[in-house]
Amino acid sequence: MQDIVLSVEHLTVYRETFVAVQDVSFSLAAGTDTAIVGPNGAGKSTLVQTILGILPRQTGDVFILGQPLSRRGFLAPAIRQQIAYLPQNFLFDRRIPITVEELVGLGWDKLGFQVPWANRRKRRYAIREALARVDAAHLSHQLISGLSGGETKRVLLAYCLVRPRRLLILDEAPAGLDVRGESEFYQLLYQLKREQGWAILQISHDLDMVRRNCDRVLCLNRTLLCQGTPEVALSPDNLSAAYGSEFIRYHHQH
Amino acid sequence: MPDLTRIIELFQLPFMQRALLGGILTGLMGGMLGSFTILRQLSFFSDALGHSALLGISIGLLLGINPSVVLLPFAVCFALGVTYLLERTRLWTDALLNIIYSSSLAIAIITLSFVGQYKGGLNNLLFGDILAVRELDLIFSAVLLLVCTVFIGLTLRTQMLLTLHESLAIARGVSVSLHRTAFIVLLSLVVGISIKAIGVLLVSAFVVIPACAARLLSRTFTNYVVLSAGLGALSAVIGMVVSAAFQFAVGSQHCGNPVDNFFNGNGTAPTTCFRTWVKADVWI
Repeated sequence: MQDIVLSVEHLTVYRETFVAVQDVSFSLAAGTDTAIVGPNGAGKSTLVQTILGILPRQTGDVFILGQPLSRRGFLAPAIRQQIAYLPQNFLFDRRIPITVEELVGLGWDKLGFQVPWANRRKRRYAIREALARVDAAHLSHQLISGLSGGETKRVLLAYCLVRPRRLLILDEAPAGLDVRGESEFYQLLYQLKREQGWAILQISHDLDMVRRNCDRVLCLNRTLLCQGTPEVALSPDNLSAAYGSEFIRYHHQH
Repeated sequence: MPDLTRIIELFQLPFMQRALLGGILTGLMGGMLGSFTILRQLSFFSDALGHSALLGISIGLLLGINPSVVLLPFAVCFALGVTYLLERTRLWTDALLNIIYSSSLAIAIITLSFVGQYKGGLNNLLFGDILAVRELDLIFSAVLLLVCTVFIGLTLRTQMLLTLHESLAIARGVSVSLHRTAFIVLLSLVVGISIKAIGVLLVSAFVVIPACAARLLSRTFTNYVVLSAGLGALSAVIGMVVSAAFQFAVGSQHCGNPVDNFFNGNGTAPTTCFRTWVKADVWI
């Protein structure tokens, strides 16, 4: 029997007056990589943000590592520790004086009530190891506002791997990178996935990348139009249903 | 040149020592919470809270209740009410705050016109009365400082993530509304308790200016928070000393209104420190 990391059952989410996601059900097995594809406004970000408890849901259930996510977004802290999330375009106020080391350390902390110097040595060691793993040890004392796009993504990956996780949720994580940066990001991501045994749920517009790397694809356009292996889910018929027939013509010409 | 001996003698007076200690406590609290206040773009919120406190004071005076008793509950309720509105409005934050604090000030002035003490007390309300700080005020400030330190200290990492990226914090299980409410309540208590010493006009300076100076000097978040609290206390000390020196420098003929001189000094001291630190930062 497969080890299920994430299970979504009949999820419906309203954004103000319209239905952003309707009756979506799927599950994610440990160590697998699932991509959510679909046009802009299809409810992809809404879906992952609801799974994380960032947005409220109207109906349906979400189970992460077997534990239910409450309507108010509560999930046991021990389970929360097993999840890492990288948002679409990591936008932050660049005037905030926070160093790379401090940001990665936040990925290690349990974020409950604790004295700031608790487990100082362990924490520092984990930060150093994580930064070295993404080849960013030399950036540790830099302010994050001074990082390039590629460096920021590497540091965010260090934030994810500074503590062992079971599930990684990425919302168009390489957005904003050039072709080379994006390729390097995915190379590092999949190398780490193999080492860490992460299950990945990611939103992507790069269908070629999805075909190459993902085990499973969810085609979403408010409702779940299809799900399966990339060969099945990204067939012309399914893509046409998700993006419209014009997309297929465009996609084949290029 | 101010006479140093006379300044030292002045600081041996109990009311001066209470004022100094009150200033340090207020400075530490203001600096500590201010470091998060400016990053979360709540500077104008603290300013509006300070200005609107005049309404709480005027309601107290009108009802014949000690304004100090009314001030803190009023500040907390007002802050929570404004936060509620800010979360639900479609207006811009600064525009809404402007509307709220202008309206509060206008109502406060109308209310004060019905109160007998209005004319005599307005200066003290606007600029505070640090020399009138009592032991009870100091105890309350010390307790509040302890609460702020424990809260910020034990949740420092949560506050950092929440300040940096709200979605990342929620994904890690942080209850944004709970932390936001706790922070706003603490900030309103700090502003409320500081008003007696600093006055409604300048109270936000103790929250905003040390934090801005600390931001220019800091390279890590933790240092920034600690430095901001330290600069808040230092600003208070410098303000008191400069005020004392000024008092003696201008001669005894100004003794008739020492309170005003103190507040003029106190108000300008943080700004002076800030300017000096800004220059230092540029030179470095």
